[in-house]
Amino acid sequence: MNDAHIAKAFDRDLEGVQAQVMKMGGLVEEAIRDSAKALKSRDVELAEQVRQGDRRIDELEDLINTQCAQVLALRQPAAGDLRTVLTVMKIAGNLERIGDYAKNLAKRTEVLSHMQPIEGASSAIKRMSKEVEKMLSDALDAYVRRDAALAEDVRHRDLEVDQMYNALFREFLTFMMEDPRNITACMHLHFIAKNIERMGDHVTSVADQVIYLATGQFPDESRPKDNQSIYRVDSVGEAEE
Amino acid sequence: MMKDNADERIGVDAMDIKFAAKDVQVYYADNHAIKDVSVDILDKTVTAFIGPSGCGKSTFLRSLNRMNDTIPICRVEGDIRLDGQDINAPEVDPVQLRAKVGMVFQKPNPFPKSIYDNVAYGPRIHGLARGKAELDEIVEKSLRRAAIWDEVKDRLDAAGTGLSGGQQQRLCIARAVATEPEVLLMDEPCSALDPIATAQVEELIDELRQSYSVIIVTHSMQQAARVSQKTAFFHLGNLVEYGDTTDIFTNPRDTRTESYITGRIG
Repeated sequence: MNDAHIAKAFDRDLEGVQAQVMKMGGLVEEAIRDSAKALKSRDVELAEQVRQGDRRIDELEDLINTQCAQVLALRQPAAGDLRTVLTVMKIAGNLERIGDYAKNLAKRTEVLSHMQPIEGASSAIKRMSKEVEKMLSDALDAYVRRDAALAEDVRHRDLEVDQMYNALFREFLTFMMEDPRNITACMHLHFIAKNIERMGDHVTSVADQVIYLATGQFPDESRPKDNQSIYRVDSVGEAEE
Repeated sequence: MMKDNADERIGVDAMDIKFAAKDVQVYYADNHAIKDVSVDILDKTVTAFIGPSGCGKSTFLRSLNRMNDTIPICRVEGDIRLDGQDINAPEVDPVQLRAKVGMVFQKPNPFPKSIYDNVAYGPRIHGLARGKAELDEIVEKSLRRAAIWDEVKDRLDAAGTGLSGGQQQRLCIARAVATEPEVLLMDEPCSALDPIATAQVEELIDELRQSYSVIIVTHSMQQAARVSQKTAFFHLGNLVEYGDTTDIFTNPRDTRTESYITGRIG
């Protein structure tokens, strides 16, 4: 099945659009990395670069959608080719959202740079973003190699990100109760943590697409999740003690 | 989506097997053209046969109404049953079989007769009409079913060969349905037609499916995808893959099927 199409231009179209997605993936990984780095080192200039860079990511998504529409209209792809086009469009959408979250992170970094730092928070957030960045990098590798097993692994690793977020949630709650002057900074940091948790969900969706591309089946919803514990009343009670 | 609607419309009968073929072999002299083909063709369903030229799809189609009998060097082995009856059994009259299993060919081939007589020919020789009034009724009904009545009703005495290509093909379909067949075999029915006439014939196929089992051989993958609920892919005389059309076109199981439908060298 790795044979080339009889119509060589079809191959060029499909390769072209997949190359754009990989380029977009590279920019998004960089945006995650730089936004977390800017937060930790309170680097307003780097944060501004991330905000500016998001425009390029958005443009790539538009380009990919246009090219996919053209392939669908002109080539009527079937089977694996059809799944390639469908997954490319969806993955581009996921990447665009991740880019937006990184941009939001950079925006909050600029606000936070004028405030008293919260001890340990930016390191924990950096660890969390590092994990998401690694997951994205693996998901894109899995895409290139059509590796469903690696994609499945990425889906399962989202649990760790959820758990990191839940831990941070409790930590910020504690800081805010200890000293109300921390509230503004902690609220911003909480949104940042939540945004990174959402990035993880979009990476998971990319991994889902890889599994569909490789196998023709969407994965079932059996991956482990940890999105319940922070909604329990006793978890707030514990923090109060 | 098309498939879901279809199943609602035609209910559980869709699962009835019309043709059951088992271990079918076809030889042209020493050439083994069809190898071990076993397949169940469903009633009230459009089944598409696809595959590259020379893969055996037309040969297999022609063995379903014993059209291969007309080729002296051709030999058919194996078991082909229509509603449980072995069609190659000695007591089966091939002419009666072909009244039940109608056929439409690639090139429209109306008889050099009037439009009326083209359609009336089959019912006449099979004695399906008692008198002129009944025959008129069959002709009108058949032309209506073939979606050509409105275009020809005022000139039924005109020659069938004087119609446009698309009209001729629909006339041939009217002729085929006039004997009330149970199965309609179509061998590339649209390859000589323009896109508008093709769309009309495809629409017609979808309507015919409510009463008949339709089997269509086509070189157009898009046509197979548009009109059929089941698709069979033939390659070098083998039936490589047979399944729901939606599955074949989104997630085929065999790499040869995938190579063929995605336009790679198979």
